[in-house]
Amino acid sequence: MTTNYHAATGRLLCLLCAVFCLASRALFAAGDKVTITYWEKWTGFEADAMRAVVDDFNASQDRIFVDFSSVSQIDRRLMLATAGGVPPDVAGIWAEQLPVYAENNALTPLDRMAAAEGITGSEYIPAFWNLCRHRGHLWALPSTPASIALVYNKKMFREAGLDPERPPRTIAELEEFNDRLLRRSESGKILTIGHLPEEPGWWSPMWGYWFGGSLWDGKSRITADSPENRAAFRWIQSYPDRFGADNLLAMHDGFSNFASSQNAFFTGRVAMVLQGVWVYNFIEKYAPADFEWGVAPFPTATAGDPNPTTIVECDILVIPHGAKHPQEAFEFIRYVNSRKPMEKLCLGQRKFSPLAECSEEFFAKHPNPFIRTFLELAKSPNARTVPRMATWTEYTAELKNAVGRVWAGRARAEEALAEAQSRQQKSLDRQLERWHRQENTLKREWDKP
Amino acid sequence: MTKNERRRLATGLLFISPWLVGFFALCVYPLVSSVYFSLCDYSVLSPPVFIGVRNYQNLWIDNVFWTSLYNTVFFAVFAIPLGLVVSLSLAVLLNFSIPGKGIFRTIFFLPSLVPMVCLAVLWQWMLNGELGLVNNAANPVLHVLNDMLGTAWSAPNWLQDARYAKWGIIFTGLWGVGNAVVIYLAGLQDVPRYLYESADIDGAGFWQKTIHITIPVISPVIYFNSIMGLIGTFQVFAVPFVMTNGGDGPERSLLFMATYLYENAFAYWNMGYACAIGVILFLVILALTWLATKLSEKHVYYAGK
Amino acid sequence: MKTAETHPVLRALIFVALALAAVAFLAPFAWMVSTSLKPLNETMSLPPKWIPSSVQWNNYPEAIAEMRYFWRYAGNSLFLCVMTVIGTVTSSALTAYGFSRIEWRGRDKWFLVLLATMMIPFPVIMVPVYGLFKDLGWIGTFKPLWVPSFFASAFNVFLLRQFFLTLPKDISEAARIDGCSEIQIFLRIILPLCRPALLVVALLQFLFTWNDFLGPLIFLTNQRDFTLALGLQSFQSQQGGTSWHLLMAASTLVILPVIVLFFFTQRSFTDGIATTGTKS
Repeated sequence: MTTNYHAATGRLLCLLCAVFCLASRALFAAGDKVTITYWEKWTGFEADAMRAVVDDFNASQDRIFVDFSSVSQIDRRLMLATAGGVPPDVAGIWAEQLPVYAENNALTPLDRMAAAEGITGSEYIPAFWNLCRHRGHLWALPSTPASIALVYNKKMFREAGLDPERPPRTIAELEEFNDRLLRRSESGKILTIGHLPEEPGWWSPMWGYWFGGSLWDGKSRITADSPENRAAFRWIQSYPDRFGADNLLAMHDGFSNFASSQNAFFTGRVAMVLQGVWVYNFIEKYAPADFEWGVAPFPTATAGDPNPTTIVECDILVIPHGAKHPQEAFEFIRYVNSRKPMEKLCLGQRKFSPLAECSEEFFAKHPNPFIRTFLELAKSPNARTVPRMATWTEYTAELKNAVGRVWAGRARAEEALAEAQSRQQKSLDRQLERWHRQENTLKREWDKP
Repeated sequence: MTKNERRRLATGLLFISPWLVGFFALCVYPLVSSVYFSLCDYSVLSPPVFIGVRNYQNLWIDNVFWTSLYNTVFFAVFAIPLGLVVSLSLAVLLNFSIPGKGIFRTIFFLPSLVPMVCLAVLWQWMLNGELGLVNNAANPVLHVLNDMLGTAWSAPNWLQDARYAKWGIIFTGLWGVGNAVVIYLAGLQDVPRYLYESADIDGAGFWQKTIHITIPVISPVIYFNSIMGLIGTFQVFAVPFVMTNGGDGPERSLLFMATYLYENAFAYWNMGYACAIGVILFLVILALTWLATKLSEKHVYYAGK
Repeated sequence: MKTAETHPVLRALIFVALALAAVAFLAPFAWMVSTSLKPLNETMSLPPKWIPSSVQWNNYPEAIAEMRYFWRYAGNSLFLCVMTVIGTVTSSALTAYGFSRIEWRGRDKWFLVLLATMMIPFPVIMVPVYGLFKDLGWIGTFKPLWVPSFFASAFNVFLLRQFFLTLPKDISEAARIDGCSEIQIFLRIILPLCRPALLVVALLQFLFTWNDFLGPLIFLTNQRDFTLALGLQSFQSQQGGTSWHLLMAASTLVILPVIVLFFFTQRSFTDGIATTGTKS
C-alpha cells in the first residue's frame, strides 16, 4: 500500500464528505416558519407522550415549528451548549436543578412573558409553582409532576402474615414489618427482606425528611448534622449493623437495574420500596402478571402528623440563556401548560397534573389505580422539595457518598454526617460569596425589559 | 546578520509558521489566560471578575481537591512502575529467539490501539463484581489459596468498592502496555552485541547482564517513556469518566484531578476554580518532570558518554 | 537475541510465559465478542459461558438501531479523521522541514520550546481554548476538532524531524546551488523520500482522532454531530448497566476499523512507534 493510494482515498473521502454536508444543508433549508429546537430528557413512551403534544402544537398553527429531540445526559449537554452559546430554544430539565442554572445565569427569566399571558400561581398546585421560582423570579413552567410514596407488595405481606391493607405508618413499624418479612437461606444469605433504604435509594440524601429534619435553613446554613438527620443516618446504619455490610453489598450486586423484570421489587426479594408516581409504568412493563401492590405515604419517625410527608419533583420547561427564539419558545411552553395539552401529556406519562384544576375525565381514563393517592400527597402541606440551592449538585453527591459509606460499613453515621456538614458548609459559603459578588449585575440583567 | 542569514531566518520562520501561529494562539494565550482566569471568578456566562488568590485559598481548604490530588498521585505512583515492569519484562522475553515472536508482538500491541471509550466500556464489564471475567477467573484461584492457607479472600467488587476501584483502573491501563513493549523491544535490539559477548566471557549470569548492561543502555528509553507516562497518567480522564458514567466513583475514589477540573468547569460553572486546578496540575507535572530529569542525570547513560 | 545460545529449556519456559501472557491479553477481546453474541439473559448467567447457546448475530443490527445515529457517528468520525490527517501531515511536515533542513538563527532554541510544549496537558489549557472557540462561535461545530490540527502538533513535528535529519544534507545543498527555492526542495526532493514517515504520522493521527473523547465531549453539543467515541459513551450511559450484549456489540464495531487498518499497515505502525521511543 503506497502513500499515493492512501492520499487518493483520503481525497475521495473528503470530497464525499463535503458533498454529504452540502446536501444535508440543502435538505434542512428553512421555510417561513420559525423553527425552535426543543431538547427533552425523555425516551420511550414518555417521549411519545410529549411528542403527541408537540405534534398537536405544530398542527394547530403555522408560525412556529417545534423540532423535538430526545437528548441523553441532558443536564450536561444543556450546560455545555448554553456555555458554548448554542443552546436549544426550549429544554426539559428537572426542577431540582433550577437554582443551579438560574444562579449561574443560564436561563431566560419568564416573569414578563408569563405576566403578559396572565399566568399566575393560582393556576397550579402550590408545590409545583414554587419549584419554578428562584430568587424572586420565574424561570420555568412545569411539564410533568411527581410525588413519592411507599409502594409495597401485598402478596408478600399476606404470605408473611401481615395485613395487606395495613402498611406501616412509622419507622418503628417499618422495622417490625422488616423482621416479619425477612427470610434467610441456610448459609445465612438474605433471600427476602421488607425494606432496604438503598433499594432503589434514589432519594438517599433526603431520608432525614421522614425524621422531621431538613438539609439547610433556607438561607445560608447547612443542617446536615441536625439531630433529625443523624437519627435518619443511624436508622440507615442499623441495616449494616444488623445484617452485615458485606451481605448487603453482595445482595445488592445481584439486584438488577430497577428498569427491568429482574429488579428486586418485582422478583419478590424486597417487599417495600420508596418510589414515585411513575412506578405504575415499571409495574405494567416489568412486573409479573399476578403482581399485587399498594401505595401509602412513606412512614415517618414519629406518628401523629395528619399531613403525610413526601418529596415532590417536577419536570420543567426552561428557555436557556441565549436562546434564539425566546418568544416562540414561550408560546410553546404556554401551550403545554394549558389544560387539555397538559392533561394529555400527564395522562400519556401516567402521572397526575400539576394544574390546580383537573377534569374528572382525566381520573376516569387514568390507568394508575393509585393516582389520587399520589396527587393528595403532592397537595400535602408536608410536601417537601430538595433544597433550592445552587450547590445542590455537590451537596447531593456528598450526601449520597456519605450514605454509601455508612451503608458499606466504612463510616459511622455521626462521622459521615459531620464531614458532609463541614465540607458542604464551605461549599455553600463559596457559592454564596459568588452570588453576592454577582447579585446586583445579575438582577439588573434579569429585570431588563 | 548577513543578507544570507536573514533570508534563511525568514524562510525558516515561514516554514514553521503553522506551528508558530498555533503556538501563540493555542499554547501561549491559553496558558496565560489560564493563569489569569485562575485569579478570577469566571462562570462562562458572565465576564470574569478578578478576585486575586481566592480560588487558591478555597482549593487549599477543599477536601475534594486533595482527594483528587491523592487519587491522581496514587494512580501515577502505581501505574507507571507497574507498566514499566510489565512492558519491559515482556520486551525482554520477546527479545529471545523464540518462534512466533512477531505474532506475540502483535498480540501485545493490539490492545493499545483500542479507543479509550471502548476500553472503558469493555473493562467495566470485565471488572463487574459478579459477572465479569476478571473475578470469574480469579475466584477459583482464590478458593484454592483459601483452602490451602485458611484465608477468606474473595475477589472484590472492583469498581463499586472504594478500596479497589483505582486498582481496577490500573489493571485496565496495564492492558495497553503494548505500545511501550514495542518501543522497549526496539531499544533492546539496539543494544550492541559485543557488550553481552564480553560479559559472557567474564562469566556474567542473566541477571547481572540485565542489571549492568541492558538497563543502563536502554535507560534513555526508560526515561522518555516514564516522562510520557507521567504526563499521561496525570491527565487520566476518559477511562474513569466513562466507567463511572461521568461520576466520581465510590466515595470519590475515582475522582482524578482532570475529572475535578472538568466538573468545576462544565458542571459547576466555576471556570476560574477549574483553571486554578489546571495551574496546580501543570506545576505538579513540571516539578515531577524536573525531579525525573535530575534522577536521570545520575542514572541514564547515553551512548557515547 | 541476548546470547548466541540460549538453553532450550529456558527458551521453552519463556515461550510458555509469553503464551500465557498472550492468552491474558487476548482474553478481553474474546470476552467482548463472546458477550456481543449472547442473548441478554445469558450475559447475566453464572458461571459465565464463553460460547453462547445461540449465536445472536442480530445483536449487532440491534445495537446499531438503538444507538440511533450510528452511521452518522461513523461518518462524523471519518470526516474528522480525514481532515485532521490532512492538517497534521501538511503542517507537521512543513514545520519539521523548517526545524531540520534549513539553518537559521535561533532554530534550536525554538525547537526546545516546541519540545517543552509537549509537557502541557490538555486539561490545563482546556478552559481558555474553550472560551476562545466560544468567542469565535465554533462551539457546536466540528471546527475546534480539526482546525488546530493544521497548526502542527509538537509530537508529530518531533517524529518527522527525526526522519528529516537522517537524510543527507548534500541533496538539499545541491538543489540550492542549482537555484531551487526552499519550497521546491521541500516538495520535489525531500517529501517524496519521506513517504513511510508521513504514513506513520497519518496513521497515528487517524488513531488519535478516532479515539478522541474529551475534545468531542466539550465541543460538540448536538447529538447528531457526535463522533463514534462520544456516541458509544452516550449509548453506554443510556443503557443503565443491563444491555451488555448490545454494548459489547457496539464496542466491537467501533474497534473493528482500527484493527483492520492496523493489519493493513502493520509495519508502519510498529516501526513508527518504535522510532518515537528510541530516537528521543
